[in-house]
Amino acid sequence: MDLSVRIGPGTLPNPVGVASGTFGYGSEYEKLIDLSIIGALYTKAVTPEARPGNATPRIIETAAGMINSIGLANNGLAGFKTAKIPYLRTLPCPAVVNVAGAKGDDYARVIEELADEDCIWGWEVNLSCPNVKTGGLALGTNPAEVEQLTARLRKLSSKPLIIKLTPNVTDITAIARAAEAGGADAVSCINTLVGMVIDTKALRPVLPGKTGGLSGPAIFPVGLAAVYRVAHAIKIPVVGLGGITEADHAVQYLLAGAYAIQIGTANFIDPTVHQKVLDGIREFAALHDLQTISDFHQFID
Amino acid sequence: MAHIVTSVLENRPVAQDYYELRLAWPSWAPAPQPGQFLTVRTVDGPVPLLRRPFAFSGFDRADSSARIIYQRRGHATTLMSAKRPFDPFDILAPLGNGFPDPSSGRRPILIAGGIGMGPMLFLAERLAQTPYPGILIIGARSAQYLPRVVLSHSVQTILCTDDGSAGRKGSAVDIAREEIRQEACAPELYLCGPHGMLAAGHELAEELDAPAWVSMEQTMGCAVGACMGCVVRVHGGEEYARVCTEGPVFDSRTIVWT
Ligand SMILES: Cc1cc2nc3c(=O)[nH]c(=O)nc-3n(C[C@H](O)[C@H](O)[C@H](O)COP(=O)(O)O)c2cc1C
Repeated sequence: MDLSVRIGPGTLPNPVGVASGTFGYGSEYEKLIDLSIIGALYTKAVTPEARPGNATPRIIETAAGMINSIGLANNGLAGFKTAKIPYLRTLPCPAVVNVAGAKGDDYARVIEELADEDCIWGWEVNLSCPNVKTGGLALGTNPAEVEQLTARLRKLSSKPLIIKLTPNVTDITAIARAAEAGGADAVSCINTLVGMVIDTKALRPVLPGKTGGLSGPAIFPVGLAAVYRVAHAIKIPVVGLGGITEADHAVQYLLAGAYAIQIGTANFIDPTVHQKVLDGIREFAALHDLQTISDFHQFID
Repeated sequence: MAHIVTSVLENRPVAQDYYELRLAWPSWAPAPQPGQFLTVRTVDGPVPLLRRPFAFSGFDRADSSARIIYQRRGHATTLMSAKRPFDPFDILAPLGNGFPDPSSGRRPILIAGGIGMGPMLFLAERLAQTPYPGILIIGARSAQYLPRVVLSHSVQTILCTDDGSAGRKGSAVDIAREEIRQEACAPELYLCGPHGMLAAGHELAEELDAPAWVSMEQTMGCAVGACMGCVVRVHGGEEYARVCTEGPVFDSRTIVWT
Protein backbone atom coordinates (compact mmCIF):
# COMPACT_ATOMS: atom_id res chain seq x y z
CA MET A 1 0.00 0.00 0.00
CA ASP A 2 1.04 3.60 -0.54
CA LEU A 3 1.32 5.24 2.87
CA SER A 4 2.39 8.65 1.61
CA VAL A 5 0.27 11.71 2.33
CA ARG A 6 -0.02 14.78 0.12
CA ILE A 7 -0.55 18.10 1.86
CA GLY A 8 -0.62 21.06 -0.53
CA PRO A 9 2.71 21.10 -2.38
CA GLY A 10 4.34 18.60 0.00
CA THR A 11 4.36 14.88 0.60
CA LEU A 12 4.84 13.07 3.89
CA PRO A 13 6.32 9.55 3.76
CA ASN A 14 3.69 8.14 6.10
CA PRO A 15 0.71 9.41 8.10
CA VAL A 16 2.14 8.92 11.62
CA GLY A 17 3.52 12.17 13.04
CA VAL A 18 4.54 13.31 16.52
CA ALA A 19 2.67 16.25 18.07
CA SER A 20 4.06 19.65 18.92
CA GLY A 21 5.30 20.14 22.47
CA THR A 22 5.55 16.44 23.19
CA PHE A 23 8.66 15.60 21.18
CA GLY A 24 10.91 18.65 21.55
CA TYR A 25 12.93 18.97 18.35
CA GLY A 26 13.66 15.27 17.96
CA SER A 27 17.12 15.15 19.57
CA GLU A 28 15.56 14.44 22.97
CA TYR A 29 14.20 11.14 21.65
CA GLU A 30 16.91 9.98 19.26
CA LYS A 31 18.31 7.45 21.74
CA LEU A 32 14.88 5.90 22.32
CA ILE A 33 13.19 5.95 18.93
CA ASP A 34 14.20 5.38 15.32
CA LEU A 35 13.33 8.85 14.02
CA SER A 36 13.37 7.68 10.40
CA ILE A 37 10.00 5.95 10.83
CA ILE A 38 8.27 9.20 11.81
CA GLY A 39 5.99 10.66 9.14
CA ALA A 40 6.33 14.23 10.41
CA LEU A 41 7.91 15.79 13.47
CA TYR A 42 5.98 18.84 14.66
CA THR A 43 8.40 20.93 16.74
CA LYS A 44 7.74 22.66 20.03
CA ALA A 45 6.12 26.07 19.35
CA VAL A 46 8.47 28.78 18.09
CA THR A 47 7.68 32.39 19.04
CA PRO A 48 9.67 35.45 17.88
CA GLU A 49 11.03 36.13 21.38
CA ALA A 50 12.34 33.53 23.84
CA ARG A 51 9.77 32.57 26.47
CA PRO A 52 10.69 31.13 29.88
CA GLY A 53 7.26 29.51 30.24
CA ASN A 54 4.78 29.43 33.11
CA ALA A 55 5.24 29.08 36.87
CA THR A 56 5.35 25.58 38.38
CA PRO A 57 3.90 23.05 38.72
CA ARG A 58 3.24 22.84 34.99
CA ILE A 59 1.80 19.33 34.82
CA ILE A 60 -0.86 17.41 36.68
CA GLU A 61 -2.14 13.94 35.93
CA THR A 62 -5.91 13.42 35.69
CA ALA A 63 -8.04 10.33 34.98
CA ALA A 64 -6.54 8.85 31.78
CA GLY A 65 -5.05 12.21 30.94
CA MET A 66 -2.86 15.08 31.97
CA ILE A 67 -3.22 18.83 32.14
CA ASN A 68 -0.27 20.97 31.11
CA SER A 69 0.49 24.62 31.43
CA ILE A 70 3.91 24.92 29.83
CA GLY A 71 3.29 28.39 28.45
CA LEU A 72 5.05 27.98 25.08
CA ALA A 73 8.49 27.82 26.72
CA ASN A 74 10.97 28.06 23.85
CA ASN A 75 14.25 29.68 22.78
CA GLY A 76 12.66 32.18 20.41
CA LEU A 77 13.60 32.70 16.77
CA ALA A 78 17.25 33.51 17.41
CA GLY A 79 17.72 30.53 19.70
CA PHE A 80 15.84 28.28 17.30
CA LYS A 81 18.16 29.25 14.47
CA THR A 82 21.39 28.69 16.36
CA ALA A 83 20.44 25.79 18.63
CA LYS A 84 17.77 23.82 16.75
CA ILE A 85 18.11 24.36 12.98
CA PRO A 86 21.50 22.60 12.73
CA TYR A 87 19.94 19.53 14.32
CA LEU A 88 16.80 19.67 12.17
CA ARG A 89 19.09 19.58 9.11
CA THR A 90 20.22 16.11 10.18
CA LEU A 91 16.72 14.81 10.93
CA PRO A 92 15.76 11.70 8.92
CA CYS A 93 12.08 12.74 8.81
CA PRO A 94 10.16 15.87 7.72
CA ALA A 95 10.16 18.72 10.27
CA VAL A 96 7.09 20.91 10.62
CA VAL A 97 7.65 24.06 12.64
CA ASN A 98 4.84 24.84 15.09
CA VAL A 99 4.42 28.63 14.97
CA ALA A 100 2.99 30.68 17.84
CA GLY A 101 2.77 34.23 19.06
CA ALA A 102 0.74 36.88 20.83
CA LYS A 103 -0.50 38.61 17.68
CA GLY A 104 -0.62 38.19 13.91
CA ASP A 105 2.70 39.98 13.41
CA ASP A 106 4.47 37.39 15.59
CA TYR A 107 3.26 34.49 13.46
CA ALA A 108 4.23 36.35 10.29
CA ARG A 109 7.69 37.10 11.65
CA VAL A 110 8.47 33.50 12.50
CA ILE A 111 7.45 32.24 9.05
CA GLU A 112 9.15 35.13 7.24
CA GLU A 113 12.45 34.61 9.01
CA LEU A 114 12.48 30.85 8.57
CA ALA A 115 10.89 30.67 5.11
CA ASP A 116 14.13 29.88 3.28
CA GLU A 117 15.26 27.07 5.56
CA ASP A 118 15.36 23.92 3.44
CA CYS A 119 15.21 21.64 6.46
CA ILE A 120 11.71 22.89 7.30
CA TRP A 121 9.03 20.90 5.48
CA GLY A 122 6.12 23.13 6.46
CA TRP A 123 4.28 25.12 9.11
CA GLU A 124 1.74 24.24 11.72
CA VAL A 125 0.17 27.45 12.94
CA ASN A 126 -0.83 27.13 16.58
CA LEU A 127 -4.04 29.15 16.81
CA SER A 128 -5.09 27.09 19.77
CA CYS A 129 -2.78 27.22 22.78
CA PRO A 130 -4.87 27.55 25.94
CA ASN A 131 -1.90 28.44 28.16
CA VAL A 132 -1.00 31.98 27.22
CA LYS A 133 -2.89 35.18 27.98
CA THR A 134 -2.91 36.59 24.47
CA GLY A 135 -2.64 35.02 21.03
CA GLY A 136 -3.11 31.29 20.58
CA LEU A 137 -6.58 30.42 21.68
CA ALA A 138 -7.76 34.03 21.59
CA LEU A 139 -6.83 34.33 17.90
CA GLY A 140 -8.11 30.90 17.00
CA THR A 141 -11.72 31.22 18.10
CA ASN A 142 -12.85 33.92 15.69
CA PRO A 143 -13.45 32.74 12.07
CA ALA A 144 -12.89 36.15 10.49
CA GLU A 145 -9.52 36.55 12.23
CA VAL A 146 -8.49 33.01 11.37
CA GLU A 147 -9.22 33.57 7.69
CA GLN A 148 -7.40 36.87 7.64
CA LEU A 149 -4.30 35.56 9.40
CA THR A 150 -4.22 32.40 7.27
CA ALA A 151 -4.37 34.51 4.11
CA ARG A 152 -1.55 36.71 5.40
CA LEU A 153 0.69 33.77 6.29
CA ARG A 154 -0.14 32.03 3.00
CA LYS A 155 1.62 34.82 1.10
CA LEU A 156 4.83 34.45 3.10
CA SER A 157 5.81 30.91 2.17
CA SER A 158 5.09 28.30 -0.44
CA LYS A 159 5.71 25.45 2.02
CA PRO A 160 2.70 23.46 3.27
CA LEU A 161 0.63 25.54 5.70
CA ILE A 162 -1.37 23.68 8.35
CA ILE A 163 -3.66 25.54 10.75
CA LYS A 164 -3.98 23.86 14.15
CA LEU A 165 -7.47 24.18 15.58
CA THR A 166 -8.71 24.36 19.12
CA PRO A 167 -11.63 22.26 20.34
CA ASN A 168 -12.51 25.03 22.80
CA VAL A 169 -15.12 26.62 20.52
CA THR A 170 -18.84 26.17 19.89
CA ASP A 171 -18.41 25.10 16.26
CA ILE A 172 -14.99 23.89 15.17
CA THR A 173 -16.14 23.51 11.55
CA ALA A 174 -16.62 27.28 11.26
CA ILE A 175 -12.94 27.80 12.16
CA ALA A 176 -11.87 25.03 9.79
CA ARG A 177 -13.80 26.62 6.92
CA ALA A 178 -12.16 29.95 7.68
CA ALA A 179 -8.70 28.35 7.50
CA GLU A 180 -9.63 26.74 4.18
CA ALA A 181 -10.96 30.02 2.80
CA GLY A 182 -7.73 31.74 3.87
CA GLY A 183 -5.70 29.33 1.76
CA ALA A 184 -4.46 26.74 4.25
CA ASP A 185 -3.21 23.43 2.81
CA ALA A 186 -4.57 21.45 5.76
CA VAL A 187 -5.87 21.77 9.29
CA SER A 188 -4.80 19.76 12.31
CA CYS A 189 -7.05 19.12 15.28
CA ILE A 190 -7.33 18.96 18.16
CA ASN A 191 -5.16 20.96 20.49
CA THR A 192 -5.75 20.45 24.21
CA LEU A 193 -9.08 21.00 25.98
CA VAL A 194 -9.21 23.61 28.72
CA GLY A 195 -9.19 21.78 32.06
CA MET A 196 -8.72 22.43 35.76
CA VAL A 197 -7.96 20.66 39.03
CA ILE A 198 -8.37 22.15 42.51
CA ASP A 199 -6.31 21.04 45.52
CA THR A 200 -8.98 20.72 48.22
CA LYS A 201 -6.39 20.65 51.04
CA ALA A 202 -4.61 23.81 49.96
CA LEU A 203 -7.87 25.37 48.71
CA ARG A 204 -6.36 26.56 45.46
CA PRO A 205 -6.00 25.38 41.86
CA VAL A 206 -3.08 22.99 41.38
CA LEU A 207 -1.76 24.97 38.41
CA PRO A 208 -0.67 28.54 39.18
CA GLY A 209 -2.41 29.63 35.97
CA LYS A 210 -5.56 27.94 37.35
CA THR A 211 -6.47 26.20 34.07
CA GLY A 212 -4.38 24.25 31.57
CA GLY A 213 -4.72 21.97 28.55
CA LEU A 214 -6.05 18.44 28.90
CA SER A 215 -4.46 15.78 26.68
CA GLY A 216 -4.08 12.01 26.55
CA PRO A 217 -6.49 9.07 26.26
CA ALA A 218 -9.29 10.99 28.00
CA ILE A 219 -9.70 13.33 25.01
CA PHE A 220 -9.63 10.70 22.27
CA PRO A 221 -13.40 10.60 21.57
CA VAL A 222 -13.52 14.41 21.55
CA GLY A 223 -10.70 14.62 19.01
CA LEU A 224 -12.24 11.92 16.87
CA ALA A 225 -15.63 13.64 16.73
CA ALA A 226 -13.94 16.96 15.90
CA VAL A 227 -11.96 15.39 13.07
CA TYR A 228 -15.07 13.63 11.74
CA ARG A 229 -17.04 16.89 11.64
CA VAL A 230 -14.20 18.97 10.20
CA ALA A 231 -13.33 16.37 7.53
CA HIS A 232 -16.91 16.50 6.32
CA ALA A 233 -16.99 20.29 6.27
CA ILE A 234 -13.87 21.11 4.23
CA LYS A 235 -12.01 19.75 1.20
CA ILE A 236 -8.40 20.22 2.34
CA PRO A 237 -6.83 17.37 4.32
CA VAL A 238 -7.30 17.03 8.07
CA VAL A 239 -4.52 15.87 10.40
CA GLY A 240 -6.11 14.14 13.38
CA LEU A 241 -4.80 14.03 16.92
CA GLY A 242 -5.87 13.80 20.50
CA GLY A 243 -5.47 10.80 22.78
CA ILE A 244 -3.88 8.32 20.40
CA THR A 245 -2.10 5.58 22.33
CA GLU A 246 -2.53 2.59 20.02
CA ALA A 247 -3.01 1.62 16.38
CA ASP A 248 -6.76 1.23 16.68
CA HIS A 249 -7.12 4.89 17.69
CA ALA A 250 -5.11 6.01 14.67
CA VAL A 251 -7.19 3.82 12.36
CA GLN A 252 -10.35 5.39 13.80
CA TYR A 253 -9.01 8.87 12.97
CA LEU A 254 -8.28 7.79 9.39
CA LEU A 255 -11.73 6.20 9.06
CA ALA A 256 -13.27 9.44 10.37
CA GLY A 257 -11.68 11.32 7.50
CA ALA A 258 -8.12 12.22 8.56
CA TYR A 259 -5.23 11.92 6.08
CA ALA A 260 -2.58 11.82 8.77
CA ILE A 261 -2.39 11.64 12.55
CA GLN A 262 -0.12 12.85 15.33
CA ILE A 263 0.88 11.12 18.55
CA GLY A 264 1.28 13.47 21.51
CA THR A 265 1.10 12.51 25.17
CA ALA A 266 1.66 8.83 24.33
CA ASN A 267 5.27 9.72 23.45
CA PHE A 268 5.86 10.20 27.17
CA ILE A 269 4.61 6.73 27.97
CA ASP A 270 5.50 4.30 25.22
CA PRO A 271 8.56 4.76 22.97
CA THR A 272 7.34 1.91 20.77
CA VAL A 273 3.97 3.52 19.99
CA HIS A 274 4.98 4.90 16.53
CA GLN A 275 6.07 1.54 15.21
CA LYS A 276 2.93 -0.12 16.60
CA VAL A 277 0.64 2.52 15.07
CA LEU A 278 2.40 2.33 11.71
CA ASP A 279 2.22 -1.47 11.71
CA GLY A 280 -1.43 -1.37 12.72
CA ILE A 281 -2.34 1.00 9.90
CA ARG A 282 -0.58 -1.29 7.40
CA GLU A 283 -2.34 -4.37 8.78
CA PHE A 284 -5.74 -2.70 8.63
CA ALA A 285 -5.11 -1.58 5.06
CA ALA A 286 -4.06 -5.09 4.05
CA LEU A 287 -7.09 -6.64 5.71
CA HIS A 288 -9.49 -4.35 3.83
CA ASP A 289 -7.41 -4.16 0.66
CA LEU A 290 -6.89 -0.39 0.86
CA GLN A 291 -4.29 1.10 -1.51
CA THR A 292 -4.04 4.70 -0.31
CA ILE A 293 -4.92 6.73 2.77
CA SER A 294 -8.01 8.20 1.07
CA ASP A 295 -9.36 4.65 0.72
CA PHE A 296 -9.87 4.74 4.50
CA HIS A 297 -12.54 7.39 3.97
CA GLN A 298 -15.02 5.22 2.05
CA PHE A 299 -16.60 3.51 5.06
CA ILE A 300 -18.10 6.26 7.16
CA ASP A 301 -20.36 8.93 5.71
CA MET B 1 19.33 6.63 28.32
CA ALA B 2 17.48 3.56 27.09
CA HIS B 3 14.05 1.96 27.01
CA ILE B 4 14.54 -1.19 29.09
CA VAL B 5 11.89 -3.85 29.50
CA THR B 6 13.23 -5.91 32.36
CA SER B 7 11.78 -7.79 35.32
CA VAL B 8 11.37 -7.53 39.06
CA LEU B 9 13.75 -9.66 41.17
CA GLU B 10 12.52 -8.65 44.60
CA ASN B 11 10.10 -6.14 46.11
CA ARG B 12 10.17 -5.89 49.89
CA PRO B 13 9.07 -3.45 52.59
CA VAL B 14 12.01 -1.65 54.23
CA ALA B 15 10.11 0.72 56.55
CA GLN B 16 6.52 1.82 57.17
CA ASP B 17 5.07 2.37 53.63
CA TYR B 18 8.58 2.18 52.11
CA TYR B 19 9.63 -0.55 49.71
CA GLU B 20 12.83 -1.51 48.02
CA LEU B 21 12.44 -2.98 44.55
CA ARG B 22 15.32 -4.83 42.94
CA LEU B 23 15.21 -5.24 39.17
CA ALA B 24 17.31 -7.20 36.71
CA TRP B 25 19.80 -4.98 34.89
CA PRO B 26 20.66 -6.12 31.34
CA SER B 27 24.35 -6.12 30.57
CA TRP B 28 23.90 -3.90 27.50
CA ALA B 29 22.27 -1.10 29.50
CA PRO B 30 24.40 1.81 30.76
CA ALA B 31 25.16 1.57 34.51
CA PRO B 32 23.19 4.02 36.67
CA GLN B 33 25.14 6.48 38.86
CA PRO B 34 24.07 7.78 42.29
CA GLY B 35 21.61 10.65 41.74
CA GLN B 36 20.31 9.32 38.42
CA PHE B 37 16.76 8.04 38.12
CA LEU B 38 14.43 5.85 36.11
CA THR B 39 10.80 6.29 35.06
CA VAL B 40 8.52 3.28 35.21
CA ARG B 41 5.29 2.52 33.43
CA THR B 42 3.24 0.98 36.21
CA VAL B 43 0.39 -0.44 34.07
CA ASP B 44 -0.39 -1.18 30.42
CA GLY B 45 -3.61 0.84 30.43
CA PRO B 46 -4.31 4.57 30.72
CA VAL B 47 -4.61 4.88 34.54
CA PRO B 48 -2.17 5.85 35.97
CA LEU B 49 -1.10 7.41 32.71
CA LEU B 50 2.36 8.91 33.12
CA ARG B 51 5.55 7.08 33.98
CA ARG B 52 6.69 7.66 37.54
CA PRO B 53 10.25 8.74 38.36
CA PHE B 54 12.34 7.03 41.08
CA ALA B 55 15.98 7.61 41.97
CA PHE B 56 18.27 4.61 42.03
CA SER B 57 19.13 3.41 45.52
CA GLY B 58 21.77 0.95 44.40
CA PHE B 59 23.41 -0.87 41.54
CA ASP B 60 25.22 -4.16 41.64
CA ARG B 61 27.18 -5.11 38.58
CA ALA B 62 28.15 -8.50 39.98
CA ASP B 63 24.59 -9.77 40.17
CA SER B 64 23.28 -7.49 37.37
CA SER B 65 20.66 -5.71 39.43
CA ALA B 66 19.61 -2.17 40.27
CA ARG B 67 17.44 -0.95 43.13
CA ILE B 68 14.98 1.80 43.93
CA ILE B 69 13.27 2.73 47.19
CA TYR B 70 9.75 4.13 46.94
CA GLN B 71 6.98 5.16 49.27
CA ARG B 72 3.50 3.74 48.78
CA ARG B 73 1.23 6.76 48.76
CA GLY B 74 -0.93 6.93 45.62
CA HIS B 75 -2.42 4.73 42.95
CA ALA B 76 0.81 4.15 41.00
CA THR B 77 2.96 3.27 44.01
CA THR B 78 0.24 1.00 45.42
CA LEU B 79 0.30 -0.91 42.13
CA MET B 80 4.08 -1.05 42.36
CA SER B 81 3.99 -2.46 45.86
CA ALA B 82 2.01 -5.42 44.47
CA LYS B 83 4.71 -6.36 41.95
CA ARG B 84 6.25 -9.81 42.37
CA PRO B 85 9.45 -11.43 41.18
CA PHE B 86 9.39 -12.07 37.38
CA ASP B 87 6.77 -9.36 36.79
CA PRO B 88 7.80 -7.21 33.80
CA PHE B 89 9.22 -3.79 34.60
CA ASP B 90 9.18 -1.21 31.78
CA ILE B 91 11.60 1.66 32.38
CA LEU B 92 13.47 4.54 30.79
CA ALA B 93 16.92 4.73 32.39
CA PRO B 94 19.38 5.89 33.48
CA LEU B 95 18.08 9.47 33.33
CA GLY B 96 19.50 12.81 34.49
CA ASN B 97 22.84 13.74 36.02
CA GLY B 98 24.27 12.09 39.11
CA PHE B 99 26.13 13.59 42.08
CA PRO B 100 29.67 14.82 41.36
CA ASP B 101 32.65 13.57 43.38
CA PRO B 102 33.58 15.68 46.39
CA SER B 103 36.23 18.33 45.80
CA SER B 104 39.64 17.38 47.13
CA GLY B 105 40.11 17.78 50.86
CA ARG B 106 36.39 18.06 51.57
CA ARG B 107 34.48 15.60 53.74
CA PRO B 108 31.22 14.42 52.10
CA ILE B 109 28.20 14.83 54.38
CA LEU B 110 25.20 12.95 52.97
CA ILE B 111 21.85 14.14 54.28
CA ALA B 112 18.71 12.14 53.54
CA GLY B 113 15.16 12.98 54.56
CA GLY B 114 12.27 10.53 54.21
CA ILE B 115 12.07 9.05 50.74
CA GLY B 116 15.27 10.90 49.84
CA MET B 117 17.16 8.03 51.46
CA GLY B 118 17.39 6.03 48.20
CA PRO B 119 20.00 8.00 46.29
CA MET B 120 21.90 8.80 49.51
CA LEU B 121 22.31 5.08 50.32
CA PHE B 122 23.60 4.55 46.77
CA LEU B 123 26.02 7.47 47.03
CA ALA B 124 27.21 6.38 50.49
CA GLU B 125 27.98 2.88 49.22
CA ARG B 126 29.84 4.35 46.26
CA LEU B 127 31.88 6.77 48.38
CA ALA B 128 32.68 3.99 50.85
CA GLN B 129 34.92 2.49 48.15
CA THR B 130 36.89 5.73 47.80
CA PRO B 131 39.43 7.50 50.03
CA TYR B 132 36.66 9.98 51.05
CA PRO B 133 33.81 7.88 52.51
CA GLY B 134 32.00 10.63 54.40
CA ILE B 135 29.09 10.48 56.84
CA LEU B 136 25.53 9.44 56.02
CA ILE B 137 22.76 11.08 58.05
CA ILE B 138 19.27 9.68 57.61
CA GLY B 139 16.34 11.58 59.08
CA ALA B 140 12.74 10.44 59.39
CA ARG B 141 9.58 11.51 61.17
CA SER B 142 9.77 8.59 63.61
CA ALA B 143 11.29 5.14 64.13
CA GLN B 144 9.00 3.19 61.80
CA TYR B 145 10.02 5.34 58.83
CA LEU B 146 13.72 4.55 59.16
CA PRO B 147 14.94 2.06 56.54
CA ARG B 148 15.91 -1.48 57.46
CA VAL B 149 18.64 -1.90 54.90
CA VAL B 150 22.07 -3.33 55.40
CA LEU B 151 24.94 -1.00 54.58
CA SER B 152 28.63 -1.84 54.31
CA HIS B 153 30.48 -1.44 57.60
CA SER B 154 32.59 1.27 56.05
CA VAL B 155 29.62 3.64 55.80
CA GLN B 156 29.46 5.79 58.92
CA THR B 157 25.73 6.25 59.48
CA ILE B 158 23.76 8.44 61.87
CA LEU B 159 20.03 7.92 62.22
CA CYS B 160 17.74 10.62 63.58
CA THR B 161 14.02 11.19 64.02
CA ASP B 162 11.90 14.29 64.48
CA ASP B 163 10.20 12.77 67.56
CA GLY B 164 13.28 11.09 69.02
CA SER B 165 11.70 7.63 68.82
CA ALA B 166 14.91 6.24 67.32
CA GLY B 167 18.43 7.51 66.84
CA ARG B 168 19.15 11.10 67.70
CA LYS B 169 16.32 13.60 68.08
CA GLY B 170 16.30 16.39 65.54
CA SER B 171 16.27 17.13 61.85
CA ALA B 172 18.92 15.62 59.60
CA VAL B 173 20.24 19.07 58.73
CA ASP B 174 20.58 20.06 62.42
CA ILE B 175 22.44 16.83 63.16
CA ALA B 176 24.69 17.52 60.17
CA ARG B 177 25.46 20.98 61.56
CA GLU B 178 26.50 19.44 64.92
CA GLU B 179 28.64 16.75 63.30
CA ILE B 180 30.46 19.21 61.08
CA ARG B 181 31.18 21.47 64.07
CA GLN B 182 32.47 18.53 66.09
CA GLU B 183 34.69 17.18 63.34
CA ALA B 184 35.90 20.66 62.42
CA CYS B 185 36.12 19.50 58.80
CA ALA B 186 35.61 21.30 55.49
CA PRO B 187 32.40 19.62 54.34
CA GLU B 188 30.71 19.11 51.01
CA LEU B 189 26.98 18.54 51.38
CA TYR B 190 24.83 16.10 49.42
CA LEU B 191 21.08 16.25 50.00
CA CYS B 192 17.94 14.45 48.93
CA GLY B 193 14.58 14.84 50.62
CA PRO B 194 11.65 17.21 51.07
CA HIS B 195 11.96 20.72 49.64
CA GLY B 196 12.17 22.35 53.09
CA MET B 197 15.08 20.10 54.04
CA LEU B 198 16.94 20.96 50.83
CA ALA B 199 16.43 24.67 51.49
CA ALA B 200 17.73 24.25 55.06
CA GLY B 201 20.72 22.33 53.69
CA HIS B 202 21.44 25.16 51.29
CA GLU B 203 21.39 27.64 54.20
CA LEU B 204 23.78 25.46 56.17
CA ALA B 205 26.10 25.31 53.17
CA GLU B 206 26.02 29.11 52.91
CA GLU B 207 26.79 29.42 56.64
CA LEU B 208 29.80 27.15 56.21
CA ASP B 209 30.77 28.51 52.80
CA ALA B 210 30.66 24.91 51.57
CA PRO B 211 29.38 23.42 48.31
CA ALA B 212 26.03 21.62 48.46
CA TRP B 213 24.45 19.32 45.90
CA VAL B 214 20.69 18.92 46.02
CA SER B 215 18.45 16.47 44.20
CA MET B 216 15.32 18.36 43.10
CA GLU B 217 11.82 17.06 42.46
CA GLN B 218 9.07 18.23 40.13
CA THR B 219 6.08 16.58 38.42
CA MET B 220 7.42 15.07 35.22
CA GLY B 221 6.02 14.55 31.76
CA CYS B 222 8.47 13.02 29.30
CA ALA B 223 11.56 12.85 31.60
CA VAL B 224 13.85 13.16 28.57
CA GLY B 225 13.95 16.94 28.14
CA ALA B 226 11.25 17.40 25.52
CA CYS B 227 8.15 18.71 27.27
CA MET B 228 9.53 21.48 29.56
CA GLY B 229 7.21 20.27 32.29
CA CYS B 230 9.54 19.43 35.19
CA VAL B 231 11.32 22.76 35.59
CA VAL B 232 12.60 24.55 38.70
CA ARG B 233 13.57 28.22 38.95
CA VAL B 234 17.28 28.88 38.75
CA HIS B 235 19.66 31.86 38.88
CA GLY B 236 21.70 32.74 35.85
CA GLY B 237 20.91 33.11 32.17
CA GLU B 238 17.81 30.95 31.94
CA GLU B 239 14.88 31.43 34.31
CA TYR B 240 14.12 27.71 34.56
CA ALA B 241 16.08 24.45 34.34
CA ARG B 242 14.66 21.00 33.62
CA VAL B 243 14.93 18.58 36.54
CA CYS B 244 15.10 15.63 34.13
CA THR B 245 17.91 16.97 31.97
CA GLU B 246 19.92 19.72 33.72
CA GLY B 247 19.17 17.96 37.05
CA PRO B 248 17.95 16.27 39.10
CA VAL B 249 21.18 17.14 40.94
CA PHE B 250 21.91 20.86 41.12
CA ASP B 251 24.47 23.02 42.87
CA SER B 252 22.27 24.49 45.61
CA ARG B 253 23.47 28.01 44.76
CA THR B 254 21.83 27.83 41.32
CA ILE B 255 18.35 27.16 42.76
CA VAL B 256 15.94 30.02 43.51
CA TRP B 257 14.81 28.95 47.01
CA THR B 258 11.27 29.99 47.93
C1 LIG C 1 3.33 19.08 27.46
C2 LIG C 1 2.60 19.49 26.20
C3 LIG C 1 3.05 20.59 25.47
C4 LIG C 1 2.38 21.00 24.31
N1 LIG C 1 2.86 22.06 23.59
C5 LIG C 1 2.25 22.41 22.41
C6 LIG C 1 2.79 23.45 21.59
O1 LIG C 1 3.83 24.06 21.88
N2 LIG C 1 2.12 23.76 20.43
C7 LIG C 1 0.97 23.09 20.05
O2 LIG C 1 0.42 23.41 19.00
N3 LIG C 1 0.47 22.09 20.80
C8 LIG C 1 1.07 21.74 21.97
N4 LIG C 1 0.56 20.70 22.72
C9 LIG C 1 -0.67 20.02 22.26
C10 LIG C 1 -0.36 18.72 21.51
O3 LIG C 1 0.40 18.98 20.35
C11 LIG C 1 -1.66 18.00 21.14
O4 LIG C 1 -2.44 18.84 20.32
C12 LIG C 1 -2.48 17.59 22.34
O5 LIG C 1 -1.65 17.17 23.40
C13 LIG C 1 -3.47 16.46 22.03
O6 LIG C 1 -2.82 15.28 21.62
P1 LIG C 1 -2.49 14.04 22.62
O7 LIG C 1 -3.73 13.75 23.39
O8 LIG C 1 -2.04 12.93 21.73
O9 LIG C 1 -1.41 14.54 23.51
C14 LIG C 1 1.21 20.30 23.88
C15 LIG C 1 0.77 19.18 24.63
C16 LIG C 1 1.45 18.77 25.77
C17 LIG C 1 0.94 17.57 26.52
